[in-house]
Amino acid sequence: MSPEKEPRHPFATRLTTERAQESLMFGLLRGMTFFVLFCAAFLFWDIISKGSSKVFEGDGLINWEFLTEHPQTLHVIGEGEDEIKLSSSNYYKLKDEKMLNKWGEFRQSDRHDSARRELDARFSRLQYEWSKDSLLVADEKFLLRERENATNKFAFWKEMLTDPKTTAEDFEIKVEEVPGMVTQFMLGHFEKERSRLSLVEEKVTLFRATNYPKIENLSLAHAEEVEMAYLAFLAEIPEAYNQSMSSFGEEAKSSYDEFLQTEGPKEFGRFAEALVAYSAARNVLLGPDHEIENWEALQASLAPFKQAMAVSLPSKDYAYSGGGIFPAIIGTLLLVIGAMAIAIVLGVFCAIFLAEYGKAGKFLSMVRLAILNLAGVPSIIFGLFGFGLFVIFLDWNVSLLAGWFTLAFMVLPIVITASEEALRSIPQGFRESSLALGATKWTMIKTSVLPFAMPGILTSSILGVARAAGETAPIMFTAAYAKRSDLPWEGLEHWTDFFFQGVMALPYHIYVVSAKIPQNAYTADMQYGTAFVFLLLVVGVASLSIILRNRLRKKYRW
Amino acid sequence: MQEAITTSPASSPTTEEVDSGDPAIRIRDLDFLYGSNQVIHNVSLDIFPKEVMAFIGPSGCGKSTLLRCLNRMNDLVDGARIGKGSIEIHGVDLHDKSVDVIELRKRVGMVFQKSNPFPKSIYQNVAYGLQIQGVKSKRVIDQKVEESLRKAALWEEVKDRLNENAYGLSGGQQQRLCIARTLAVEPEIILMDEPCSALDPVATGRVEELILELKHEYTIVVVTHNMQQAGRISDRTAFFYLGKLIECDLTKKIFLNPSKQQTEDYISGKFG
Repeated sequence: MSPEKEPRHPFATRLTTERAQESLMFGLLRGMTFFVLFCAAFLFWDIISKGSSKVFEGDGLINWEFLTEHPQTLHVIGEGEDEIKLSSSNYYKLKDEKMLNKWGEFRQSDRHDSARRELDARFSRLQYEWSKDSLLVADEKFLLRERENATNKFAFWKEMLTDPKTTAEDFEIKVEEVPGMVTQFMLGHFEKERSRLSLVEEKVTLFRATNYPKIENLSLAHAEEVEMAYLAFLAEIPEAYNQSMSSFGEEAKSSYDEFLQTEGPKEFGRFAEALVAYSAARNVLLGPDHEIENWEALQASLAPFKQAMAVSLPSKDYAYSGGGIFPAIIGTLLLVIGAMAIAIVLGVFCAIFLAEYGKAGKFLSMVRLAILNLAGVPSIIFGLFGFGLFVIFLDWNVSLLAGWFTLAFMVLPIVITASEEALRSIPQGFRESSLALGATKWTMIKTSVLPFAMPGILTSSILGVARAAGETAPIMFTAAYAKRSDLPWEGLEHWTDFFFQGVMALPYHIYVVSAKIPQNAYTADMQYGTAFVFLLLVVGVASLSIILRNRLRKKYRW
Repeated sequence: MQEAITTSPASSPTTEEVDSGDPAIRIRDLDFLYGSNQVIHNVSLDIFPKEVMAFIGPSGCGKSTLLRCLNRMNDLVDGARIGKGSIEIHGVDLHDKSVDVIELRKRVGMVFQKSNPFPKSIYQNVAYGLQIQGVKSKRVIDQKVEESLRKAALWEEVKDRLNENAYGLSGGQQQRLCIARTLAVEPEIILMDEPCSALDPVATGRVEELILELKHEYTIVVVTHNMQQAGRISDRTAFFYLGKLIECDLTKKIFLNPSKQQTEDYISGKFG
């Protein structure tokens, strides 16, 4: 532009420093605001887009499993396009189904009848073993056998002790070391007996302990005394094994009878398990070689059934990536409700005192300062405070109650400040007219201040608590469990136990799935899904408080 | 000097309207302070049963403070206290330890400058005083509510909408509702702190009529800035200036023939 064409009047735009500063500042302010907007938009977009894919999995319907199930291991069957994701409960259901199919096929087949006949024959022959008569004979044989073994052992040790010189030469040790060595042999023997006779383990231990002085200070005379004691002691053993054999035998029998009726795999499984337990007692009392032929044949006749029960469903397992977050949702709701109740009661009472009764002065300003400081304390410190006071000192353990109080104390400054504000906003005229009508101070507060301040108190308090519910730090030491199989109202022995149990909670769950477990392709889904649900929950609580406030405001307007 | 201005109606020949006998309220040598700031200086004054007494004077002259002393509303103010002197109602010193301020306020009702009904229904507003006294019977309360609203000349206007919010009423109606609320607790003395200052002339007229009506049953003390109003409704008028009682006499005399120069200057609009 040539200088002649420039407009030349008093209001012509000219570039001055002020003007440059103005444009710069405007740009800067707008830029910063847009940056904040962008970050917020990104955060919400991220959580909503990724989280909704978990909550509305598949064809856009709500993923109920995620909202109503416990966290479980994720089993992934197959690969790539064909992969099927199953949570543990569904995985085992599928496996059971497969097994039932296979079992059904087996029952239809020709092999089934012959296998049943064989099993019947073998098992009915076994049943005689735990009858009273048979056990009496078995006990005698057992004692005979055991005493013979024991006598042999002791004879060997006594021989060593009678002729220490030869023994020392044989074992290439000094003569005076011989008793010590035999002591070691003996102790070793009892140690072995302890595990072999596992049903009477305690008795053997007791025997060894009572005879220990003699064994440790071994001489020929002592060895003989111990031998006598041991031979007598052996008589105590059969009783326990008799009991074990007959109880497991009867269990095998009854489950076998059930199996005969239902022909189901579960009953068969119980029968097989009872037999295993039975065999442990049998091996000791009767000896492993007793009627070995029939025993082995029985085991062999079980095999076709066992085979029919065995199904394989190969899968890759990812801990904590399947199932849902139901207990965490419930836990968070419980935490929020309880903490809110405690915080509102404590906070409102405190605020009433400060706003209505407190006289301006040093004390009041100190209280205000303390409350202000409380609001600035980091949440992890509240967590430690709650851990120290409620969990350890008051011995509430990691529990709902401890979490409630910790969260309540954390939001207390917000509740007190908001309540005081709300109380102060009530016109002084209400107080004066109430008093002038002959109300006492408390009546005045109760009837013509508190009801009108309630909308403000509730809204701010609920919002404050909803915000605190998102904190992980205060509950991680005081209330939160990473995993809990029962819901809070399940498996309580007494109703008070309700307050002394830990719960799962959404923020802590997010922390656990993000930081505490091995990450895999499926954990991110879990994290974002949980975050999304949590976001919805907080929005829900916040809107609830706003609706509540609007309704109350309509009721009390002035 | 005190005797000269607390003109007893009994001693005055021109006071047919005013009841004679013992005063309902007897104020003697009263000093009143907010902290160290003395706002009432040595005031002595008698108020007789079933008369309307008006307090007039420029802003800050202590007339509202004196009114609020009469049912101890000043107790609410930090640092407010009596310096010397006494206030007696039926011979009982209000600041005696044996006086229950709650009972006192039931007998000495108060209506405030700004009409301030509770944000509840009209019915609940009037019933409030009875309810906080523990009256449970709905029949008794219903009866009392109607009676009070009738006395406050509001019944005809609100009888069909007793359960509506009191804030749906006009300003004048709200103020009469506040009067009805006060009447419901059956006071003997009613204190009014500039009851019409926020009302338009028509509503003011209604309230003034009401005051003249109520005077047959109650002793009424009115603080007002409006001298015409004092002239219209009161039997006697007390003029305050800078915390001192300058003159107290029959209203007619104060307005037509005041004995003090300051009173005349104020009434004729030379200051205030």
